[in-house]
Amino acid sequence: MATPSVTAFVRSALRLLTVQAAFNYERMIGVGLGYASEPLLRALPGGREGQHYHEALGRAAGYFNAHPYLVGLAAGATARAEHEGVPGPQVERLRTALVGPLGAVGDRLVWAGTLPAASAVGLALSAHTRAGVGAAALLALYNVPHLLLRVWGLVAGWRHGTTLGRALAAPMLRGSLTAIGPIAACAIGFATPLVANRLVGDLDLAAWAAAVVGAGVAVVVLRLLSPRFGALRLALVAATAIVLGTAL
Amino acid sequence: MTAGVFAALLAWGMVTGIDLVSFLQVMVARPLVAATVAGAIVGDSMSGVLVGMLLELYALEVLPVGGARYPDYGPAAVAGTVAAAGGGMAMLGVGAVVGLLVAYAGEGSITILRRRNTRRVREAAASLDAGNFRTIQRVQLGGITWDAFRALLLTGAGLGLALAAQRWPPVSPRAGILLTAVLAGIGLGSAVLNGKRLVQGRGGAAWLGVGIAGGVAWLLLR
Repeated sequence: MATPSVTAFVRSALRLLTVQAAFNYERMIGVGLGYASEPLLRALPGGREGQHYHEALGRAAGYFNAHPYLVGLAAGATARAEHEGVPGPQVERLRTALVGPLGAVGDRLVWAGTLPAASAVGLALSAHTRAGVGAAALLALYNVPHLLLRVWGLVAGWRHGTTLGRALAAPMLRGSLTAIGPIAACAIGFATPLVANRLVGDLDLAAWAAAVVGAGVAVVVLRLLSPRFGALRLALVAATAIVLGTAL
Repeated sequence: MTAGVFAALLAWGMVTGIDLVSFLQVMVARPLVAATVAGAIVGDSMSGVLVGMLLELYALEVLPVGGARYPDYGPAAVAGTVAAAGGGMAMLGVGAVVGLLVAYAGEGSITILRRRNTRRVREAAASLDAGNFRTIQRVQLGGITWDAFRALLLTGAGLGLALAAQRWPPVSPRAGILLTAVLAGIGLGSAVLNGKRLVQGRGGAAWLGVGIAGGVAWLLLR
């Protein structure tokens, strides 16, 4: 089996940064997966003009959806399977089997964990430090794990190939999944009074009362109507009422 | 506002717009980051940070799973900062409203872009299935280009709205304060609710409570 060069892996990792560029309702991020996998497929027998390369690339650009940061696992694993001569239908089944787990793990680890935690730390720091410190902290806290996850995914995908389940069962990943939710919830809780103090702390009693009423209405309404009717829409309704109310 | 500042804001808004989905996703699209930089560009860092904090509370509710639709807070934060710049707490609420409107419009623009991508992919289906790399590359890079165009238009429209709001504020300074307080309250209520939901099972409220207690203690003891 010919192994792709280090340059091919670097190129693939860079292309993974654009994996959702052609997000669409037909193949979701499949075209992006094909684009990112292509450098790893060049070393297939026959090279870029060969039949194997085109068949593998066609499969790679089919329907696929997962968390974008974990697509590297799929790119590495399916490229490895193609290099090992695994039959096309089996590669397709591998891709299909990865959609659910890679989506669920990534969504929990990143969107419902790392991102809100980093955001909360950024908010807390913004409330009580110089301008820019909070934003810088958010970027640093988020992107170190983010970029590590992307690189790890590609390398682990290639290393494990069709036995990719082992990579997803890694103790480090399992431990992170368990810990990140409570950390994020705790961080948001910590940031909330600091942000409240910064945004309305210097305002008068009437404004404080308005903020408390706004928070109470939000909790009640969003518990009942979210996600169909979220905070953004509630805020726009409230703003319209205030603008019209003061104009009349 | 000078042409140079306007151009810098447009460029920054475009960068934050493509960062949301198409390219990098390093979270410069988060309102806290986008507004802080926009504040530095317009020369009012504090307004940038405050608008960013307010909109960040709303962005915490976004869970971009699967093909979900979600607001675009990057260009929104840029426009919101411009609306609030130089106006103090009275204009903070107006800036937030401008930001929320632009974010809402951004949600619609992302849907339009995805439909466009879907049409392009349908047209190129045979070539994609045949493993033609040129087609894959064209669809992929075309997606980034159109997303950049979308973000540029959204930022431009947002800046227009922001400049109009600054010139003709829709509320008096007193009502502006009220608006700021109500929007902060809704954002904080939403953040608390979303924080609780981050923990699977029944421990969410406990972890959130520990955090709130820590935050209150920090405020009292500092």
